[in-house]
Amino acid sequence: MRILAVFEKSERIRHIGHLDIQRSMQRGLRRSGLPVAYSNGFNPHILITFASALSTGACGQREIMDVTMAEPTDAEVFLAKMNRAMPPELHLKEARAVDDRHPALMGSLRAASYDLMVYDSQEAALLNSAIPLMMDQPSIPAMRKTKTALKECDIKPLIYSLSGEGQHIRAMLALTEKEACKPGMLMEALAGAAGLKEPVRFLTTRTGLFGENTEGNLAPLELL
Amino acid sequence: MNENERFEKILEKVQKAPRYTGGEMNTAVKEWDDCPLHFGFCFPDTYEVGMSHLGLKILYGLINREEWSLCERFFMPWTDMIALMKEENLPLLSTESRHPMHEFDVIGFTLQYEMSYTNILAMLDMGGIPLEGKDRGESDPIVVAGGPCAFNPEPLADFIDAFMIGDGEDVMTELNRVILERKQKGLSRKECLRKLANLEGVYVPSFYDVEYDASGIITGIHPNTPGVPETIRKRVVTDLNQTYYPEEIPVPYTEVVFDRIMLEIMRGCTRGCRFCQAGMLYRPVRERSLEKLIDLSEKLVASTGYEEISLSSLSSGDYTCLPELIRELMRRMKDKRVSISLPSLRIDSVLKESLEETQQVKKTSLTFAPEAGTQRMRDVINKGVTESDLLEKVRDAFEGGWSSVKLYFMDGLPTETDEDLDGIADLARKVVEEYFRVPRERRAKGLRVTVSASTFVPKPFTPFQWAAQDTIPEIIRKQDHLKKVLNIKGVNFNWHEPYVSFLEACVSRGDRRIGRVLLTAYRLGCILDGWTETFRFDTWMEAFKACGLDPAFYANRERGRDEILPWDHIDSGITKQFLWHEKEKSEQAVTTKDCRKGCNGCGLQRWKGVCGYANPRSV
Ligand code: SF4
Repeated sequence: MRILAVFEKSERIRHIGHLDIQRSMQRGLRRSGLPVAYSNGFNPHILITFASALSTGACGQREIMDVTMAEPTDAEVFLAKMNRAMPPELHLKEARAVDDRHPALMGSLRAASYDLMVYDSQEAALLNSAIPLMMDQPSIPAMRKTKTALKECDIKPLIYSLSGEGQHIRAMLALTEKEACKPGMLMEALAGAAGLKEPVRFLTTRTGLFGENTEGNLAPLELL
Repeated sequence: MNENERFEKILEKVQKAPRYTGGEMNTAVKEWDDCPLHFGFCFPDTYEVGMSHLGLKILYGLINREEWSLCERFFMPWTDMIALMKEENLPLLSTESRHPMHEFDVIGFTLQYEMSYTNILAMLDMGGIPLEGKDRGESDPIVVAGGPCAFNPEPLADFIDAFMIGDGEDVMTELNRVILERKQKGLSRKECLRKLANLEGVYVPSFYDVEYDASGIITGIHPNTPGVPETIRKRVVTDLNQTYYPEEIPVPYTEVVFDRIMLEIMRGCTRGCRFCQAGMLYRPVRERSLEKLIDLSEKLVASTGYEEISLSSLSSGDYTCLPELIRELMRRMKDKRVSISLPSLRIDSVLKESLEETQQVKKTSLTFAPEAGTQRMRDVINKGVTESDLLEKVRDAFEGGWSSVKLYFMDGLPTETDEDLDGIADLARKVVEEYFRVPRERRAKGLRVTVSASTFVPKPFTPFQWAAQDTIPEIIRKQDHLKKVLNIKGVNFNWHEPYVSFLEACVSRGDRRIGRVLLTAYRLGCILDGWTETFRFDTWMEAFKACGLDPAFYANRERGRDEILPWDHIDSGITKQFLWHEKEKSEQAVTTKDCRKGCNGCGLQRWKGVCGYANPRSV
């Protein structure tokens, strides 16, 4: 069986990269004393996967990991033991036991919701008022970083919702194994629409990860 | 923007931000206002180096364990961070609660390496604390330091208010109590320092005067304040089983240099290698019991989740029941998937079996430290390893499936000739031959013999404390010679530029006047001198010149028997007489036996009940 667990990556440790978060979770699992499953082979490692790598610099409110257990484990016990074994910066919020046949998280991922907090309130106001303007355009060009170059693409079909309130911009953006709109791409386009010359300073918090339910609507990935 | 917001802002721009953000597992979550005493533990090098250091973890746990004291960490920021902090006018902040350094009651530096001394100045400066003790006022923290380099405290005498000499576990709490008293009873700085000077093992340099003759040689070191001791005797914890050892240690998020559990199995070493300062300073040998070590390792594995335990000591192979310890640790750790590694490995035949067990879990490259290439040279330095010993161990390793071997040597040792250097190449060649002697189907592929040569630096409290270091041109000549003779297939040769070793020699045997040089070098921009990319030798030489001091006086001058050495008022337990005797024996290439075979009368035998191998009659 497997456990799907929702955890938080706090603002304090937002500069820790994904690989380090992975290792910290593995060590946390080792500290917890929970019966986790290990891979076979010469260098056995804990069977753990993450729904999506969260970029360095971003906070996460509802990140999801998937841990394979060696023995049946109660979700509540998992949650309690892990929270004793983790620093407050990587707090677990929910856990759910699923069957081994439960689809892999990564494959079901469709979108992510974000809260983008703009540090400068004047800039935030300009960005907010530029939202309808930008969304009315037939296409929204943005620059996508590939491994080798910058590529222009249209992010309009990748923005599922976008709104602004005070210093916060909230967005639901496409996130699949094939295509994604990164918050940085969105903010650059929006800053352009708002006529801002300098790059905007903002704090990224990924607030949730979403898949598709049977009706074809976006729904929290951990509940699917 | 407030301080914290500005700090967050620069974190977005800095390289390796996790160095500065804290929040690691097992780091203090004590409330600032709940503890009357705030201790800022300063590691004068980067986070990655500091978080690999065992002493930090011991003292961090020890101070935080007391209800009344809180310990937070400070590390040396990298140059990009320093520039950004300047730009934003931000002081150095503690890793845990981000309090500025000057709000702490005690600032404690650990002195591991002389090349970190300018970092101390930089950290104090960024922390808003006057660099020199004499300029500090009643509201400034007391600045203390300990660690191996504190045994010659003189180069830092102007900057450090009090030094802790010897083992820190007991004296740390005593010192903190006095500083708490300062805070609670409003003791003046001077009164506080006076009380500190009366603790055993604590040296307050401002209470001592040093006189020199016209050539710069010391003519006297005397207390200038009544009631302070003439000599400062180092602290020794006699029973490691009764001494604090952390059961929880911080676990960094990012990879640091030693990212594992370090289990100190014993302290001290009985071998008496003459070049080795640690071997003299950490005398006598004290072991932790097997039961205690097993218990500690279980607790540490449970509290950290680490995948590896390394047994740490100066000479782990000498631990009395090492095979039993390794066997027992392996038995218990196998299911937990924790591997055991021995860093300073001496393989003896008794260990062969355990070695075979080690590789079941993990196979790493094996390290040997013959230190010198010929038997004569090894006898000079009292390194009790023979060529046949070494080759036998190497053969065992190759037969056991290792193919990667590291060999450590020194160049520039006293009495060294080119023949001794050629001996290094001979030894490397014989190691390669041993590999090819193992039948192809039994040996692992990919032979890699790495030969590293470091330049010898004479250190205080060793038999070579009077010796002249080779001059830079001579070291370069010797290194070139080594490069030529070590051009052997299968062998890699590593060496270091001689400039750092030269400077290390100046500072490690420096007197108080070196403090001026440190300050001048720092003002001229020297920091992070232990890093090749930031080390500026020419600037250092400029600083010596500006202070009217000749570096060769410190590095390349042979001292006379009766010369007063800058550290003569520090009592390491080992007598000058013993060290001189050892020096004379070294000149004749006469060895001294391992203390386990009988006491050699180093001086520690004078202290009752301190050394378990001592025979009081040998005085
Ligand atoms: S007192 Fe004797 S046995 Fe102990 S460390 Fe000194 S020489 Fe060795």
